[in-house]
Amino acid sequence: MPNSALVIGGGIAGIQTALDIADAGFHVYLVEKEPSVGGRMAQLDKTFPTLDCSACILTPKMVDVARHPNIELITYSEVCNITNGASDFYATIKKKPRYVDTNKCTGCGSCAEACRLKGRVTDTFNAGMGKRSAIYVPFPQAVPLKYTVDPTQCVYLTRGVCGKTFLCKDACKADAIDFTQKEEIVELNVGAIVVATGFDPFDAALKPELGYGIYPNVITSLQFERLSSASGPTAGKILLNGKEPREVVFVQCVGSRDVTTGNLYCSRVCCMITAKHAHLVKDKIHDANVTIFYADMRAFGKGFEEFYDRVRAEGVNYRRGYVSEIYAAGGQTPKRDGKLVVRSEDTLIGKPIETTADLVVLSVGLVPRVETNTLAQILQLTNSSDGFLAEAHPKMLPVDTKINGVYLAGVAQGPKDIPDAVAHAKAAASAAIVRLRSRQSSVASQQ
Amino acid sequence: MKSQIGVYICHCGLNIANTVDVEQVREFARILPNVAIARNYTYMCSDPGQALITNDIRDLGLTHVVVASCSPRMHEPTFRATIHKAGLNPYVLEMANIREQCSWVHSDRTLATLKAMDLIASAVAKVALLVPLQEREVKVTQSALVIGGGIAGMTATLDIANAGFQVCLVEKQTHLGGRVAQLDTTFPTQERVADLLAPVLRAITTHPNIRVITNADVEKVDGFIGNFRATIRARPTFVDAMKCDACGKCVDACPVNVPDAFDANLTTRRAIYRAPDARFVIDARACSFVQDRVCRSDPRCAAVCDRNAIDFSQTENLVEINIGAIIVATGAATFDATKKPELGFGTYSNVITSLQFERLAARQELQSVKDVVFVSCVGSRDATTGNTYCSRVCCMVNAKQARRIQEKFPDARVTVFYADVRAFGKGHEEFYDAVRKTGVRYRRGYVSEIFAAGGQTPKRDQKLIVRAEDTLIQKPIEVSADLVVLGIGMTPRAETNEIANVLGLPRSGDGFLLEIHPKLRPVETAVDGVFLAGACQGPKDIVDTIAQARAAASSAFASLCRGQVKIESATARVDEEVCAGCGLCVATCPYGAPALIARTGTARVNQVLCKGCGACEAACPSKAIQVMQCTPRQVLAQIAVLA
Repeated sequence: MPNSALVIGGGIAGIQTALDIADAGFHVYLVEKEPSVGGRMAQLDKTFPTLDCSACILTPKMVDVARHPNIELITYSEVCNITNGASDFYATIKKKPRYVDTNKCTGCGSCAEACRLKGRVTDTFNAGMGKRSAIYVPFPQAVPLKYTVDPTQCVYLTRGVCGKTFLCKDACKADAIDFTQKEEIVELNVGAIVVATGFDPFDAALKPELGYGIYPNVITSLQFERLSSASGPTAGKILLNGKEPREVVFVQCVGSRDVTTGNLYCSRVCCMITAKHAHLVKDKIHDANVTIFYADMRAFGKGFEEFYDRVRAEGVNYRRGYVSEIYAAGGQTPKRDGKLVVRSEDTLIGKPIETTADLVVLSVGLVPRVETNTLAQILQLTNSSDGFLAEAHPKMLPVDTKINGVYLAGVAQGPKDIPDAVAHAKAAASAAIVRLRSRQSSVASQQ
Repeated sequence: MKSQIGVYICHCGLNIANTVDVEQVREFARILPNVAIARNYTYMCSDPGQALITNDIRDLGLTHVVVASCSPRMHEPTFRATIHKAGLNPYVLEMANIREQCSWVHSDRTLATLKAMDLIASAVAKVALLVPLQEREVKVTQSALVIGGGIAGMTATLDIANAGFQVCLVEKQTHLGGRVAQLDTTFPTQERVADLLAPVLRAITTHPNIRVITNADVEKVDGFIGNFRATIRARPTFVDAMKCDACGKCVDACPVNVPDAFDANLTTRRAIYRAPDARFVIDARACSFVQDRVCRSDPRCAAVCDRNAIDFSQTENLVEINIGAIIVATGAATFDATKKPELGFGTYSNVITSLQFERLAARQELQSVKDVVFVSCVGSRDATTGNTYCSRVCCMVNAKQARRIQEKFPDARVTVFYADVRAFGKGHEEFYDAVRKTGVRYRRGYVSEIFAAGGQTPKRDQKLIVRAEDTLIQKPIEVSADLVVLGIGMTPRAETNEIANVLGLPRSGDGFLLEIHPKLRPVETAVDGVFLAGACQGPKDIVDTIAQARAAASSAFASLCRGQVKIESATARVDEEVCAGCGLCVATCPYGAPALIARTGTARVNQVLCKGCGACEAACPSKAIQVMQCTPRQVLAQIAVLA
C-alpha cells in the first residue's frame, strides 16, 4: 500500500525509524539482509558512557519491532530494485531461502547441535572470534529466533551431498528444514523509503604495519566487543588462548583521519569505544597495564568527557602519538601469542617509544557498507566524498536526500554513536511521517 | 480459587548465571507455596523464552507469573505483553530483579544464590495478592506547543505543522531565530547563516498551522500527556506593528543607550530599536518611560512617530492553550568569559569571544590584523569553571573563524591553542585539514594568561601577550597578538530552572535538561508528552540540533497521530472512609495528582496524572491511600517470607 514506508536495514537506526513511523499509525516494511534484526549494536558488549549492556537495551526494541501490529519484518532479504513512481515507489525485495520453514522452526537449536560442521564455521557475528555450525542463529536473542542454513558453508548446499543422511533434518523434531526452498520475490508499493544500512568496520589488514592478520593477539575493537561480551566466545572473559593478557595496548584512528587509507574523516565513535574497552580491561583484569595511543581525544557527547576523566583516574595510560609498527618480540622467529612490541612516537615527550603488549586492540573506523553503492544506484542517491550517502544539505537537511520521499537514517549518512544515530533515525521517521500524512490528506481532499 | 504460580528464572546469558546458581534457584522456587512450575532459561526475553511462559499458562492454567530476571524497567512491558497474549491480565505479573539487585552487585556465588532465592520467594508471596487492572487510554488534543524559537524549535514546529497539526511556537525574545541568527557562517561549508535561515523564517511565518507568540514566556503548564493546558504570558512591544512604517525617527529620539545583546554587547542600541527581524520594538526593561513613566527626551518617541504606532497603553496578555504534546527547545547560553579573568576578557578590548567574532564578521567589521590567537576550551572541559563537559562545537567554530581571518587577511599570523581538536562531524576533519593548509598554526596546550605587552600601563587595543604551554615541545611559550578570540563553551540558560520547574523536568549533572535514556531515548523526558530538542539537552552543532528537533517531532507524532495514548494503570486510590483529609498526599505528589475535595473533605487522586510512584502512600499517616500493586498487604506479605 502506498501509504506505508519501506525501511532498509534493521540495525538500531532502522528499528527506531520503523517504530516511530509505525507508532504514528503507518504500515512499515522493515527489510534486513541478515537472518536477524539488531545490526551492529547487537554485537556490542557494553555502551559508553553509562556501561549499559548493549543487548539489554536493544533487545526490548527488537522485540517491539517484531510484535508491532504495523510493522512487517522481512529478514534475510535484500532490495533488488526500486522504481520511482513520482508520488510513490515500487520496490522489489528478494527473500533469500533459509532452508528452514520459519512457521515450523521453534528455535530449539537441535539442528545446530547435530550439524556435521558444528564448531567449524567461522562465526561472523562473533567477528571471527568463534565457530558455529552451518545451520545457525546469529546470536541467542535473535529476532526472529529462526534458524538459517548458511548456503556458503552447508555441506549439502555446496557439494550436493551431506553424508548418508541429513543430520540437521533428522534432529529437527518440528520437521522445519526444507532444502527445496527457493528464492522468493516480493513486490511492495510504498510512499516513503528510509535507508538505514549502517556501516562495516574498517578492514585492519589494509594497515599491514599494525600486524592484523599476522599476529593472533592483534585484534579489532569489534572483536574485543565479542571477547568482552558475556554471550561471546569466551563468555565475557578477556582471554587469548586461555590466558589473560597483562599488557594491553589500544591503537586509535585505525582507518580514520588517515590519508594513506583514503579515509580522511573521523569515525566519531572510536575514542569513546576505546575508553570503554580500557575500562573493561581494568575492570576484569585489575592489575593489567593499559596504554592507549591517540591523536586527539574526542570525548564530545553528553557525559563523555566525564567518562574519559574516570578512565584516566582508573590508571589507564594515555599516550599521544601514532603507532608506526607492531612486531613480535624475539625477532625473526616469533612465537604464536608471544609478546608484541608496539613502536610509536609519544608526541608529548617528543620521542619514539616502544611498548610491549600481550594484546593489541586496533580501534577501527567506520566505513560505508559494501552494498551502499549498489543501493545508491538502485535509489539514484549520491555519495559524499567519504563514501557515505549524501544528505540534501549538510546543515539544514541531514536526513533528506535529493530524491523526494527517500530519507537517510543513522550511520548510512556518516559515522555516529548510538544516541546520535537514534536521533537521526527519529528525524528520518519524522520526515517520512510528514510525507505520508500530507499524502493522506491530499488523497482525502480529492475524494 | 487457588492460585497457580509460574516462576521463570532467566540466565541473562551469563549476566545472572555467572553469579547465581540458577538451577539451584529453580529447585528452590519449585517447592514454594502455590508454585505450579519453575523453569530457567538462557534469555527469558527471547521468543522461545516467552513461549515457555505462554505455553505453561495455556497448558497448566497458571493464574500468576513471576519472572526473575532484570529490572522491571527493562522487561516488565515485555512480560506483561507475554502473559496478556496468553490470556492473563497483564498486571498479575511480578518481576524479581535478580540482575541489577543481585548478580551484578555481588561476587560471592553462594550468597548471591541465597539472595536470589529470597527475592523470588518474596515475589511469589506478593504475586498471588495482585489484582487485575485495566489498561487505560486517554484522548489526545491534536496540537503542540514548542517552547523556543531558535533553529531547534522552528524545525520541530515545521515538521509538526507540515504533518497537519496546529502548533503554537513561543519565543522569549521579540524575534525568531535564536542563537543561530547571531552567527555569520556555518562550518564546514561556510554558507551564510542568514541565507539558510531566511526560508525557514518565511515558512514559519506563513504557515497556516503555526501560531507564533514572540516576547513571551510559558508561565504555567497543567495537565498530562495528550491533555496539557499552558498559560503563556506575552509581553507588549509598545509598537503597533500594523501602523509602524519603520521610518526610524523614534530611535533617533530615544535617549537611552543599552548594550545590544544580539550583537554580543559589541554595540549599543536605544530602548526603542529595530529588532533583528526588522520590526521596531521597545525594550521594556531599558525604557525609562515604561519603567518610571518619565523620559528626559523631548520630543519623545511617541511624539515623533507620524503614524501613531507607539502605544504605551499596551499591556501584558495571558494566552491559554490546550495541547497534546510539548517540545522544549530553549537552547543554551554562552559561557561568561569574565569568569576566567586570567584571559583578559573585559579588561582588554581586543580580547573577544567567538560569538562576538561572529557578530563582527556578520557586520563586516573585521579589522585588519597581523597576529591573531584563538583559545579553545574556554569554559569547557575545565573543572575550575565547574563545566567538566566538552561543548562540542568550539573546535570547529575556531577552525572556521581562523580560516576566515586567514582568507581575509592572508598576511595574518593565526595561532590556535587547543587541547584536542574535536573535528568529528561529517566533513569536519577535512575542513580542519584545509584550515591547517591555509597556514593556520595549531599549537597544543592551554593558555595560562593573557596580558598587555606594555607592562603596567596597558593602552587600549595594544599588543597582547598570550602565555601558554606548547605540550608538543614541552615548553612555556609566549605569542603576541593584536586580537585574541576566546572559543567559549555552551552553558545551560539561566532560565533552565524556571522551565524545568514549570514542566517538572529533571536536569543532568551538567545542568542541561535530562533525557530519559542517554542512548536510546535522547529526546524523551521523565514527563510523558514532553520532549527535548537541541542545545537545551546538551551542546550541539546546527546539524545535530536539527536532527534532534525532528526526532522530538517524531516522538510527538506517536500520540498526536493516533489521537489517544495509553496511561499507567497501577495508580494510587484513596479509601475515603479512612482518609482524614490532612492533605499530606497533595503536598507530597510530584505530579499534582491528589487533590482535596471540598464537599467530602477527603483526598481524591486524578487517575491520569498519577504515575504510581507511591510517594503519597508513604506519606499518608492513616494508610488511606494505596498504590495498586504496592499495597501494604502485598508489601507485608513480601516481608513476611523473608523473616
